[in-house]
Amino acid sequence: MLSFKTKKYLLVLFGLILTGCKDKLPIIENLNENKYSFVNHNNEPRNFPEFVKGNITVVGYIFTNCPDICPLTTNNMRLIQEKIKKENISGIKFVSISFDPMQDSPKTLRKFAEVRDLDLSNWNFLVGTKQTTDSLMKKVGILAVIGDSTVFKSGKKIYYYVHTDRIQLMDKDGAIRKNYRGSSINVDEIVNDIKSLN
Amino acid sequence: MKKIYMILIFAGLVFGQNSSRKSLIKINNAWIRPAAEEANSALFFEVTNNGNKTDSLLSAEFKFAEKVEVHETYKKSEDVMGMRAVKAVAIPVNTTVKFKPRDLHVMLLNLSRDVKRGQKYGVTLNFKFAGKVKVEAVVKEMPKM
Ligand SMILES: [Cu+2]
Repeated sequence: MLSFKTKKYLLVLFGLILTGCKDKLPIIENLNENKYSFVNHNNEPRNFPEFVKGNITVVGYIFTNCPDICPLTTNNMRLIQEKIKKENISGIKFVSISFDPMQDSPKTLRKFAEVRDLDLSNWNFLVGTKQTTDSLMKKVGILAVIGDSTVFKSGKKIYYYVHTDRIQLMDKDGAIRKNYRGSSINVDEIVNDIKSLN
Repeated sequence: MKKIYMILIFAGLVFGQNSSRKSLIKINNAWIRPAAEEANSALFFEVTNNGNKTDSLLSAEFKFAEKVEVHETYKKSEDVMGMRAVKAVAIPVNTTVKFKPRDLHVMLLNLSRDVKRGQKYGVTLNFKFAGKVKVEAVVKEMPKM
């Protein structure tokens, strides 16, 4: 039988561990051992997450035929980037990964970024093979399935995804530490989380 | 005397035209998201029906899009979003329906040019009763909320 005093100590200790974990943002998924070969918006090879290792990274998931959720997610990443710049926090990287390699190419990603005047100095847009893409999406918990489509007079067909609306925060070691709703993320919240990991 | 008649006829024409042209459908705060040539954008606005019967937005026209569709973004499940075409959007009497991000939008498909922040474009909305309503939409990233 544990004495009342010991029980109290254990309870306090347990409480400390709990709050400690909460403050430290638990690891959701560790990508440290994985290597996903993508190309960026300039068609340069980028192994994810290797190429951002050592940097806290904000990761968004998009497809460029998307006119609503994905532009919102992208714009929110821009707002995070601007706030970080304003607060003089350095060494943060941004990555937007397409879950639609069938319709997205480095060129469509580059145009998607350029027309929005995004600062790409610390931001890469990535696209890979279907196999690589699907395996990463499964690992990080992003659902992306083909939904409705539009057919043009020419017969050309484009389709839209039903997809997880998400931005993730990855630590310097390539572990996903927190999920946010991409299209409606609270910029202050993620900037505070970045500070706590930095 | 002849002159006065002429003026009266002219004034009648002008006022007559004005009152018949005055639409009971009012569009406010129209804006378009930036998007690259060959990509898709979305048009957002607020539409108010000041008439005495429910109207419906049936379709829209944009010179620089190959196709225009009325769409809605919908929630499939927690954190999972989709988008689909809708046939018509009812605008009930004395009601403002908001076409806004994560909700109703007019989808501008396969643009023939870059649509960039600060530009302005004319768009035509087709209503069941009000007919064609022209609006000017400004290109911006997000409305001031
Ligand atoms: Cu749409």
